[in-house]
Amino acid sequence: MRRARQLATVFLLLVALASAAAGFLAPSGYAHQFRDTPDASPSRQHWLGTDDLGRDRFARLLYGTRVSLCLAPAAALLSSLLAALIGGVAGFCGGRLEQLVLAGTDLFLSLPWLFLLITIRALLPLNLPPVTSVVITFMLLGCLGWAVAARVICSDAHLLRNCDFILLARASGLGGWRLLVRHLLPNLMPIVYAQFWLSIPIFILTEANLGILGLGVSEPLPSWGTLLRDLESCSSMSHLWQFAPLLLLIAAVSCFHLLVVDREFPA
Amino acid sequence: MRRVLFTVLSLWLAFGSARAQSATQLRFCLRSEPKTFNPLLVEEDSSDTVRYLTGGVLVRLNRKTQKLEPGLATDWKVSRDGRTIAFTLRPGLKFSDGTSFSAADVAYTVQQMMEPSLHSPIGDTFRSGEGATESKILAADKVAISFPAPVAGLDRLFDQVAIMSASSAKKEMAVLGPYYVSENHAGSYLMLERNPNYWRQDAAGRPLPYIDSIRLDIQQNRDLELLRLERGEIDLVNSIDPEYYEKLVKEKPALAHDAGPSLDSEHMWFNQVPTAAISDYKKAWFQSANFRRAVSEAINRQDLARIAFRGHARPAVGIVSPANQFWFNDKLRPHPFDQKSALQRLQKDGFRLHDGVLRDVNGHVVEFSIITNAGNRYRERMATMIQQDLAGVGMKVNVVTLDFPSLIERITRTFTYEACLLGLVNTDLDPASVMNVWLSSAENHQWSPGEKKPATAWEAEIDRLMRAQASTLDDHRRKQYFDRVQEIAWEQEPFIYLVTKNALSAISTSLSNAQPVVLRPQVFWNVDELKLAPEVAATR
Amino acid sequence: MADRLLEIRISADYPNKPAVLDDCSLEIGRGEIVGLVGKSGCGKSTLSLALLGLLAWRGGQVRGSIRLNGRDLVGLSEGEMRKLRGREIALVLQSPMSALNPALKLGTQLHEAWKAHSSGSSEACNRAVGEALENVSLPQEPAFLQRYPSQISVGQAQRVLIAMAILHRPPLLIADEPTSALDIITQSEILELFSKVSRKLAMSILYISHDLLSLASISQRVAVMENGAIVECSPTMKIFRDPSHPYTRQLIRALPVIPQVFAAPAR
Ligand SMILES: Nc1ncnc2c1ncn2[C@@H]1O[C@H](COP(=O)(O)OP(=O)(O)OP(=O)(O)O)[C@@H](O)[C@H]1O
Ligand SMILES: [Mg+2]
Repeated sequence: MRRARQLATVFLLLVALASAAAGFLAPSGYAHQFRDTPDASPSRQHWLGTDDLGRDRFARLLYGTRVSLCLAPAAALLSSLLAALIGGVAGFCGGRLEQLVLAGTDLFLSLPWLFLLITIRALLPLNLPPVTSVVITFMLLGCLGWAVAARVICSDAHLLRNCDFILLARASGLGGWRLLVRHLLPNLMPIVYAQFWLSIPIFILTEANLGILGLGVSEPLPSWGTLLRDLESCSSMSHLWQFAPLLLLIAAVSCFHLLVVDREFPA
Repeated sequence: MRRVLFTVLSLWLAFGSARAQSATQLRFCLRSEPKTFNPLLVEEDSSDTVRYLTGGVLVRLNRKTQKLEPGLATDWKVSRDGRTIAFTLRPGLKFSDGTSFSAADVAYTVQQMMEPSLHSPIGDTFRSGEGATESKILAADKVAISFPAPVAGLDRLFDQVAIMSASSAKKEMAVLGPYYVSENHAGSYLMLERNPNYWRQDAAGRPLPYIDSIRLDIQQNRDLELLRLERGEIDLVNSIDPEYYEKLVKEKPALAHDAGPSLDSEHMWFNQVPTAAISDYKKAWFQSANFRRAVSEAINRQDLARIAFRGHARPAVGIVSPANQFWFNDKLRPHPFDQKSALQRLQKDGFRLHDGVLRDVNGHVVEFSIITNAGNRYRERMATMIQQDLAGVGMKVNVVTLDFPSLIERITRTFTYEACLLGLVNTDLDPASVMNVWLSSAENHQWSPGEKKPATAWEAEIDRLMRAQASTLDDHRRKQYFDRVQEIAWEQEPFIYLVTKNALSAISTSLSNAQPVVLRPQVFWNVDELKLAPEVAATR
Repeated sequence: MADRLLEIRISADYPNKPAVLDDCSLEIGRGEIVGLVGKSGCGKSTLSLALLGLLAWRGGQVRGSIRLNGRDLVGLSEGEMRKLRGREIALVLQSPMSALNPALKLGTQLHEAWKAHSSGSSEACNRAVGEALENVSLPQEPAFLQRYPSQISVGQAQRVLIAMAILHRPPLLIADEPTSALDIITQSEILELFSKVSRKLAMSILYISHDLLSLASISQRVAVMENGAIVECSPTMKIFRDPSHPYTRQLIRALPVIPQVFAAPAR
């Protein structure tokens, strides 16, 4: 287990390093179209071949990793924190507030988000630089993704609120935020962690789908999402190197899981 | 004994010949259930297909030669004033249910078609002015139809008018075309049987059509349709996309057919709506012909066709596709890819390229967005390629893909966009069909819809020419006018035409006589002459 | 009993269970250990919560008066109550394992309890914690404080809780069945600890238990509760020798053996 964890750390570090050094490792850049060689197979010049427009797949993978590996966890963090805060406070305070918040999350979950996102896109200017657009998208995802997690966390917090140790903490004169943050939150952490790790791959994929609404990464900037979307058109299994983005996504997410499991306090 | 032998022999023969002629069935898919079987109410593709396969028309546009041919009428004549058309009908014809066909049926059909309460889309194409349409039955086989005002291309319009029986109890289900609808399993499939009363015969005097029945499966899913084609469960797919074509060429090359440039083109345009919520200096760029021409010349159309469409497209010329044999202005050529010339044009308007950044006369950086509909891989590719091409002249382009409804909202109602990349699907050859695009007052005049009066001199000129061709009856005069429209559009480029897509189709090898063309219906336009190979027919 | 620390006369209700405490009155002197017995469900824990002003968190309601050092606690605001909890009145609960926060290190929990009422340097904090640990005979080395509750024994845990309770040297400590989860040897150790602490810090203890015998060994007086009311409250000797209330008699009869010390002289 420790061995596996070390390997995972090394792997993630390598991925992070490679994506940070993208400009150096793949000097051709993610946008340049080598129009004489579209859909090329791997070669010395293009390690993973080129895509349908002749862009270097390796460069796109590195830059896409940079975008998704920075932003998806950031969004997941945002949504998990929101969920912990909203769910935690509601479950902890109980009573009217809890009912209100639960009703609120239900309403939030039942809202037609697609339409809301379309409206948001309508409010945003069309001339957004690709980077801004992708940052906005992930932050939106972060702001919208809390509801399900909040329900789970709320019910957990509700159980905790009647625990002896919370009673004792109160009896020691603790209360308010301090009680919430120092005593309740650490006990909610495992579930918050779980929600966090769950939402990373979800956000990566959602970002890919949001491209359809004109949100998300816009051309020519790549993200794991757009790279995965490219796979849709990949009809034959003979071009296995095209699946590199998928492999990397799976590998990275599993590594993250490995690193996190058992990091909680010993039960 | 001899008699017995004879009987056996004749039975054997009869049996044998029955075997030889065992029923043949053509199969293909409809994308959706036909909304109507009433030929006058046809609006969408599926109903149109059923109408094409079952309807008998007075004159038929040959999809290959693009010329009119006799159908139910052996002869027809448009009057000098362009308001009246007189048909001489083929004698002795019968509807599929045995009811006989005469001039009364034509008069009935036209009367129904022009009935305002029916809201017939075909009827609308004939409506040129106020007043009633009159049909005069001159004899059992002669009928003259008069419209209140001249109708341009009057005879061709009758290619879409399937004649209905005035007296048959089966109403619109009694037909004059090669097939009739025999079974309708809503939501799953449709059976068409060979019409025994169909009028056409082949050169050897054999009655047409050759194929006994057609099974039309309702299949919404494109991928499933293609899968069924590969499995041999269906015989044809009318139109396939370049990527799938390439796949077929690799795996089953005999199935793939490329009929060359179609009528469909892809184009982009700049928003020139005067009230649009974009900054004035950008409006000034978009309203400058120099700017538009420069953008056009800075785009490598050859590359678009070769890479985005895998070579199954050509650089587009203009309004009319070269596939439209009569109306295409063959003096025109696609705009060349020439970034030097593009920069010269920009300099004329005071644009300056410095350090790879183009600025206008007031120093504004040239940056704009192109919107296109998300999910269309070819358009997304084109947009990305255009992005790189225009970077070559220092323009910064942002590509935004939108869902179709909000794209339409932007280009038709709110006008909150700068440039748009879309395609145009043409089904009609006649310039009358593009009046709704090229008249400056038209709603589909996309760069600036519904102008109260023409915004520019060239738009006024196009208005004049379009009206002139619409009120002229002589096709050669009309073509002169329309040629000029094509030239103005080529010079001004309100629409920057990018590529003309090829008509690609897939046809099973067991189907013979198929000659895919660019006009709809591409593969089965000559359905009555199609044949299925007997060995395939036997195994069905 | 001239020097009274606490005088109570209260009634308490839960939303769907009225009169859980029914005109319950009790007095505790300074430095006195008072035992409280009664059968399960009679309202002992409710009384302890009422004293701490925590009944509202369980949905309950208190009427009457609780006078601590002559000051009535019933009308106090939550903020004022919070200042009292842990500093004036402390609580030790039955099950030490569930009363300690599993997600926090022992040191953190003690520090939190200290910080609830003092805002001194970390040195002062460490000193106070060290003293408290010494008083309950726990090791004071840092390694011990680095442990999680799951890493110590139940007896140690109960000592930690007592240490936490005496951190601020409150005049009153409520021990709600503090030994019922312990084995018999540990039980006696803890009992001894309580009486030692009470003597050393001049602390009054309200010692709640089912177990008359263990109660008898440390308390000066014993109060008997039935159906939410104190039905008898007398010095320990008197309770055993001459119980006046039928319920008390029943309790004593239920004992397996009446300890010799308390047995009435033969008539
Ligand atoms: N939150 C609550 N809501 C409603 N009723 C409650 C609540 N908590 C306790 N009760 C009820 O109040 C009564 C007194 O409960 P309490 O916990 O004070 O009893 P106890 O004497 O401490 O019993 P035990 O010896 O089992 O700990 C019980 O009948 C119990 O069912
Ligand atoms: Mg209790």
